[in-house]
Amino acid sequence: MAYLSMGEAHRRITDYLGRFSDAVSSQDVASLKHLLSLSSNSPSLLSLADALNLFQDANRLIKQSDKYSQFAEIVVPLFRCLQNYKLNNLVDAYHAYEKAANAFIQEFRNWDSAWALEALYVIAYEIRVLAERADRELSANGKSPEKLKAAGSYLMKVFGVLAGKGPKRVGALYVTCQLFKIYFKLGTVHLCRSVIRSIETARIFDFEEFPQRDKVTYMYYTGRLEVYNENFTAADQKLSYALAHCNPRSEENIRMILKYLIPVKLSIGILPQDWLLEKYNLVEYRNIVQALKRGDLQLLRSALEEHEDRFLRSGVYLVLEKLELQVYQRLLKKIYIIQKQKDPSKAHQMKLEVIIKALKWLEIDMDLDEVECIVAILIHKNLVKGYFAHKSKVVVLSKQDPFPKLTGKPVNA
Amino acid sequence: MERRQKNQQQQNPRRNPLSSSSSSSSSHSSNRKSRYRPPNRASGDARARHREDSGLDSGDATTWDEPRSLARSIDERASAAGTRSSMGIREQQEQHQHHQDGENARDSREFASAVGTCPYMCPVGEMAQRERLRDLAVFERLHGNPAKTSPELAVKKFCRTISTRHVQLSDIRPLSVLGSTLDYLMNLMNSTPEPFETVHDFIFDRTRSIRQDLSMQDILDKRAIHMYEKMVNFHVISHHKLRLSSSGPNSFNISSLHHLNMEQLAKVLTSLYNLYDLNRDHNSMHKNEPEYRSLYVLLCLNSESLPEGERLSLWFRRVPTPVIKSKEMTFARRILRYFRTDNYKCFFSTIAAEASYLQYCALEPYIDKVRALAVLLINNGGYKLHPYPIAHLSNLLMMEESEVESFCIACGLETSLDEQGNKVLPTKQPAFNHPKAGHGKYGFSGFENICRGREAEEKV
Repeated sequence: MAYLSMGEAHRRITDYLGRFSDAVSSQDVASLKHLLSLSSNSPSLLSLADALNLFQDANRLIKQSDKYSQFAEIVVPLFRCLQNYKLNNLVDAYHAYEKAANAFIQEFRNWDSAWALEALYVIAYEIRVLAERADRELSANGKSPEKLKAAGSYLMKVFGVLAGKGPKRVGALYVTCQLFKIYFKLGTVHLCRSVIRSIETARIFDFEEFPQRDKVTYMYYTGRLEVYNENFTAADQKLSYALAHCNPRSEENIRMILKYLIPVKLSIGILPQDWLLEKYNLVEYRNIVQALKRGDLQLLRSALEEHEDRFLRSGVYLVLEKLELQVYQRLLKKIYIIQKQKDPSKAHQMKLEVIIKALKWLEIDMDLDEVECIVAILIHKNLVKGYFAHKSKVVVLSKQDPFPKLTGKPVNA
Repeated sequence: MERRQKNQQQQNPRRNPLSSSSSSSSSHSSNRKSRYRPPNRASGDARARHREDSGLDSGDATTWDEPRSLARSIDERASAAGTRSSMGIREQQEQHQHHQDGENARDSREFASAVGTCPYMCPVGEMAQRERLRDLAVFERLHGNPAKTSPELAVKKFCRTISTRHVQLSDIRPLSVLGSTLDYLMNLMNSTPEPFETVHDFIFDRTRSIRQDLSMQDILDKRAIHMYEKMVNFHVISHHKLRLSSSGPNSFNISSLHHLNMEQLAKVLTSLYNLYDLNRDHNSMHKNEPEYRSLYVLLCLNSESLPEGERLSLWFRRVPTPVIKSKEMTFARRILRYFRTDNYKCFFSTIAAEASYLQYCALEPYIDKVRALAVLLINNGGYKLHPYPIAHLSNLLMMEESEVESFCIACGLETSLDEQGNKVLPTKQPAFNHPKAGHGKYGFSGFENICRGREAEEKV
């Protein structure tokens, strides 16, 4: 790069300081956001870091002027952060940014109006992203990654500042969603519970007041939590809300929602159309759906195995694995249909041996005890109506609707 | 284990070790170290890699200010456990834990290169103090004398109020001493005539103290892994043995012990998994990692079993792929699938065929739950005119016929005799109920094979 003179360095620093104080005094949140956006890798911010490295006495500049010094507690650590960030010292950059963020929230608390809310959003986002990168640095150096947890503590503090009667409260949902991202990444999702309780029960919050973008994100994450807890009715409601209200041009977001909504729909007996899987590149679900249509247990097993890593990392593997019972139901129903075509008067009596043969055809070996067990499970779950006769080794099916559809309800727990 | 030769020791002036100043601690520990050092001991305990980790279990100190209780009673622990199980408080503790982790990290850094110098299982000062206070466990009394112990018997207690700022190096046991102390405790588990709950209570406390000393010295390498695996063994086997004692007049106390054991097991497992991750080379796995990871799955079949445990759906996200594919984890995942789909037939037969002893101990509480489910399903789905043979049920549930009968009765169902005089369970009875926890003790007919497997493993 071009040689940087002391005069030019001085100019860059005073220019930043001037823009910072002007943004605050004129409540220009658009400018303020830009000045706090670390991860944008803005050339002007990165060049400011170069200027700070050359001009070793920026603190004196700040203290000299009343206009600048009132924001010293924010700007001094912010400068230190920029210098470390430029050098790729992410842990030190995180420390400095957190210090600046704490000073900012103190200032923000004193402003009556919510004019700076979007700048606070930037800080909430940046502190999380920077913490993630700092933790990768810590892990690479054999140290315990702990910055993301610290960022979570900071955001809880921010949440507390926003959770009041004033106009700032509409920002609480954005901060909540950043907390969700942290807790999901840390594996401490039980910590989401208290935040959710605040959002959904505190009298100061009216869900409809929150920005739509944040509501969609919130419903996405809380919908995921319901998936992990296997509350499929609530998961369907939340994820369907997110799907209906998200930006229809954002295919990546739609895909993210469908990744969880599809297992939910499958669990309540609703199969997606092939074109949907194709359009949003959800091909990993194709053979799952085929297995359910055909009653093909082997196909279910191989589809789960083929995409095992992906399903495990997204957290839906256990949900998909449980579809096994619906696959069995489908298999028995197919046998029933075939029997009915052959001899309608005897269709409702199904020998366990016939089921064993069908499974063998699918390359699955199962003995009489196991098949009887499967039948007992299906009866208990109300996927099959009837009873089994152990002595005769027969399933006797009800003459009325022996294979009830789920019709949007989860399998009976 | 081989006892260390007793060293002649010069009696030191009695002093509360926690009240010493740091400057006198430095010179004093230097003197003590040279005085007590065995002649053939290797100098220092080199650590292969130095790493900082504030996440390790440091013995669950809950507050620096809590008054020290030298003889915390089981009732107090039960009360504390009850309090901790509250959902709201759990979340508060999580926030508090974060703050505490920070403090731990700062304290740990001050000790970053510290190596303890206590040559005994218990610091000399603590021995003297506990002799005076008659605070000696039954295992620590010299010839049964409640006021007399020895370096070969006394083991350092876990101290709730500890802060690394106030501890002398002479009160901390170095890695080699911690290793031999742990071996002593593990050997004690199998070699004493005392009731198991007494043994459990002692080892529970003393292993927490070992973890405390490990944490204060920042010992995070593979040697710590082996120690944590042994401590997991203790808690998992306790999970099994405490259940065997869980009826009769002591049942309430043992139930509390069981709950506390699960709490501590959760912490030790979490620390062990952190150690696995910290010591990982590339994407490989540690030798025993699959089995110890599989224990988490087996302990959490019901999703709510371990305190503060992570949902399995989320937990699996971070398990390394080689562990996922391992024989031990594949077994655990199949058991999980059978449990979640109510497949009682495969659940029992797979445990009998493939479980290791540790895995069996983790699974044991679920066996009767699945048995009750099996009886429920058979009662619910069976043909009314064809009662279910008890002999067949005995094979399915892997228990003795006589036990099957009493188990059915515990489920609120009657048994009867058919025309040929065989015992049967009439189905479609309306009065099924799940047996109360701890009702009776039923065997598992696959257990003998599992124990033989254990003996074979131990011989290798």
